[in-house]
Amino acid sequence: MKHIPGVTSAPTTDLPVLLPLDRTRARPPEAMMVSRWLAGLPAWTPLPLLALMLLWPLTAEAAYTYGQAVDALWRWLPFLVKSGFLYNVVISFLAMAIGTAAGAALGLAQISQIAAIRRTAWFVTQLFRNSPWLVLLFIVMLALPFELVIGDTIISIPDWTKAVFGLSLPIMANISEIVRGAVQSVPSAQWEASEALAFNRRQILWMIILPQCIKRMIPPWMNWYAILTMATPLCSLLAVEEIVTLSRQAIEAEDNHPELLVPFYSFIMVIFFAYCYPIARLTVRLERKFAVKL
Amino acid sequence: MMKQLLAATAITALLASTTAASAAQCTNDAWNKVMSRGKIVVGVKADYKPWGFRNESGELVGMEIDMAKDVAETMGVKLEMVPVQSSNRMQFLEQGKIDLMIATMSDRPDRRKIVGIIQPNYYTSGTNVMSPKAVGLKKWEDLRGKPVCGKQGAFYNKIVSERYGADIVAFTGNAEAKQALRDKKCIAWVYDDSSIMSDLSSGNWDAYEMPLNSEDDNPWGLAVPPAEKDCVFGQFMTGMSYNWLQSGRLIELEKKWGIQPTAFLANQKKRMKDWLDK
Repeated sequence: MKHIPGVTSAPTTDLPVLLPLDRTRARPPEAMMVSRWLAGLPAWTPLPLLALMLLWPLTAEAAYTYGQAVDALWRWLPFLVKSGFLYNVVISFLAMAIGTAAGAALGLAQISQIAAIRRTAWFVTQLFRNSPWLVLLFIVMLALPFELVIGDTIISIPDWTKAVFGLSLPIMANISEIVRGAVQSVPSAQWEASEALAFNRRQILWMIILPQCIKRMIPPWMNWYAILTMATPLCSLLAVEEIVTLSRQAIEAEDNHPELLVPFYSFIMVIFFAYCYPIARLTVRLERKFAVKL
Repeated sequence: MMKQLLAATAITALLASTTAASAAQCTNDAWNKVMSRGKIVVGVKADYKPWGFRNESGELVGMEIDMAKDVAETMGVKLEMVPVQSSNRMQFLEQGKIDLMIATMSDRPDRRKIVGIIQPNYYTSGTNVMSPKAVGLKKWEDLRGKPVCGKQGAFYNKIVSERYGADIVAFTGNAEAKQALRDKKCIAWVYDDSSIMSDLSSGNWDAYEMPLNSEDDNPWGLAVPPAEKDCVFGQFMTGMSYNWLQSGRLIELEKKWGIQPTAFLANQKKRMKDWLDK
């Protein structure tokens, strides 16, 4: 390769030179911020925090020791994971599934040729994208009935299914934007070439454009999954029995010693980190792999 | 003839109207629902040891849970328990999400307008505060203008703030409230006197005291949906409540769950004593 000062070696002049394009910085960062930040953390991140937690009780004043608090956490751990965290995972899975299906449809509606559909889809997307998640959750919780009576059968709707629905709304709106963006990011020459080959609009979309979009939609989609998972403890404010709610109840059953707060909440942090961290790493790796070659 | 006919019509009309009225008053919806599906849904506390809390395997246990079991057993239906919080328990009952509520609720006049609170009351507790000995509280008035920690949804938060001008800082859990007390974010923690007593006797709060006289000794009431209060369900629960007090079952449960014996239950038992018993 030819020797170019400033590119293949240190610059020999302090005059401004054109730097080579750094492909990892060339893409807009905002869509993937959470995953990139999380994946950028080293895997041992929780450890110093745990060490800090070990130091903390030295300042505590009561006869109830830190050892007893950790012992209590150990006894409650199987229950918190099985009946608590598993619920968070189930809620995030289902909300993601519903949000993705609805979001894909809404995203395609956003690029419809019929103005009315396009504008409505745009409005719905913006509405749910820009509302606080907790407010959406409250509205869904209070607006939906707790049971449906069809004839003689009573179908009860448990709170966690309402939480799934409530969380799927912002996911739907964000997936809708991802789909719209991905479709519009395919060079317009593809549309023109396909049209020249006598494909109709539906064929172009399904057979040519969307297959190219799937790959570039996967990383942001996983990014939203990580965000959603970390948002599931919001449901505790609505008394859904997930890990934060159950931890509070466990603390109560252990006589509300304030010493319990740090071990229990740290445990929640660690378990969420352990779950979301691999997802974030994978997301960033896939993103690099699927990056559009410029 | 005409008169008789008129009188007869009037009587029939009167009868019809009275039956219609009582039928409208008592549809017994909740009772019928429980019986037809063979299951009663009871709202209980999952965060109020020892009345309603979870054991390590996640089952709901406690004094009020035992009471709920008694109810289901007497009715011959299955029991489903829904954990409620002080802030949502009355809404759950109003909405019909739960059929019965046994959830450490103080029987207050404003609450009687919203849910059907059953007589006789089954327990009682007063309001007091836990405060560092160093603060040296002497009387309730000392709280004026000072931050006082409490738990969301407790009725006495409002009373303490209105009557004594305390600034209530309400937390979702008692552990958080107690941590705030320890961090000196507030000068006292306002709660049930019986809970404070058990904390003080645990030896973990040696630098703290319960310096004031308990106030608002307030009976607790279980509740049914408002429409059911004077109908089958309400009358049935009144019977349950009476038997619990009269037979000493609640005193038994109190002992089982390690609650300090209250004069209230002993007095009620004495009052309702069977006159033929020796």
